[in-house]
Amino acid sequence: MHLVTFFQWLNETPFSVALRENDWPFPIIETFHILGLGLSVGVIIWVDLRLIGLTMRSQPVSQVVSQLEPWAIRGFVVMFLSGSLLFFAEPMKCYSTIAFRFKAVMLVLTSLNVWYFHAKVYPNVAEWDEAAVMPWRAKMVGYVSMILWFGIIIAGRWTAYL
Amino acid sequence: MDFLRILPRWFFPWCEKTAIGSIIQHSRWSFAIIETVHIMALAVLLGSFLIVDLRLLGYGMRRQSVAEVAKQFGPWSWRAFVVMVATGIPMYLSEAIKLSTSGPFFYKMAFLCLGVLFHLTVHRKATNSSVNVSTGLAKVAACLSLICWLAVALAGRAIAYL
Repeated sequence: MHLVTFFQWLNETPFSVALRENDWPFPIIETFHILGLGLSVGVIIWVDLRLIGLTMRSQPVSQVVSQLEPWAIRGFVVMFLSGSLLFFAEPMKCYSTIAFRFKAVMLVLTSLNVWYFHAKVYPNVAEWDEAAVMPWRAKMVGYVSMILWFGIIIAGRWTAYL
Repeated sequence: MDFLRILPRWFFPWCEKTAIGSIIQHSRWSFAIIETVHIMALAVLLGSFLIVDLRLLGYGMRRQSVAEVAKQFGPWSWRAFVVMVATGIPMYLSEAIKLSTSGPFFYKMAFLCLGVLFHLTVHRKATNSSVNVSTGLAKVAACLSLICWLAVALAGRAIAYL
């Protein structure tokens, strides 16, 4: 089955139609999605800035990560749930919007970035926890994360316009 | 309640005739671009406020005192706020007439003023203590602060719908 066939089917399900055609569900869910930005991206950029070495330099990296990441995860759960519902409301519109395709690709890339960080970079944090200069892999994860998240916000915004 | 009932009638067309107001009105993409920067600054601002307010409530960054957390995120909150005002004003100027009869916009500004006033008084006092434990006042300050800024964001979102 082609992806487009699946999205067409999804588009015609009663749930999708209901989300689309009733006045309030979409705006309410979208509001959660926008406010969730603060708890998700708004918190994780501080971890990214610490990895790059630009903020909270007096704090060990492991402390910043362990204190802030749980909150960012909660924020991302909100974003994932609200985002999924928003997608279910108009799968065909999302599928045929270039901006949304970019957003989907960038979301996959951020997942890879997170996996890479926890699998290959963070395990030996004890060696550079309080280093004056962050190792290049940590900086790279930080920069990639920030660029991707701001790109995702831009693409998300333009999904509505295009 | 809206601004048309409070401010003189000539103010709104005057806003739209300003250089900035007219340029944005007549340019296809200016508004979208400015609004996107507004949203990115929102992520940074909400993130910083959330981290400080969560700390006031006793969650996250617990090894530092409230004052230390506030001191770290304060400057960034302020910068993000400046960006939001700097992007908000041009957007307002481009559609002042339409916003003059908008209830949500009025309440957004009302909560914004309330939030700023509250932030510069009670909230500042609550974050000044160098104690590691959160007090009753701190918790109230954190909750009220969060409610205020969430109300600003909600009202801002409602402008497009009501």
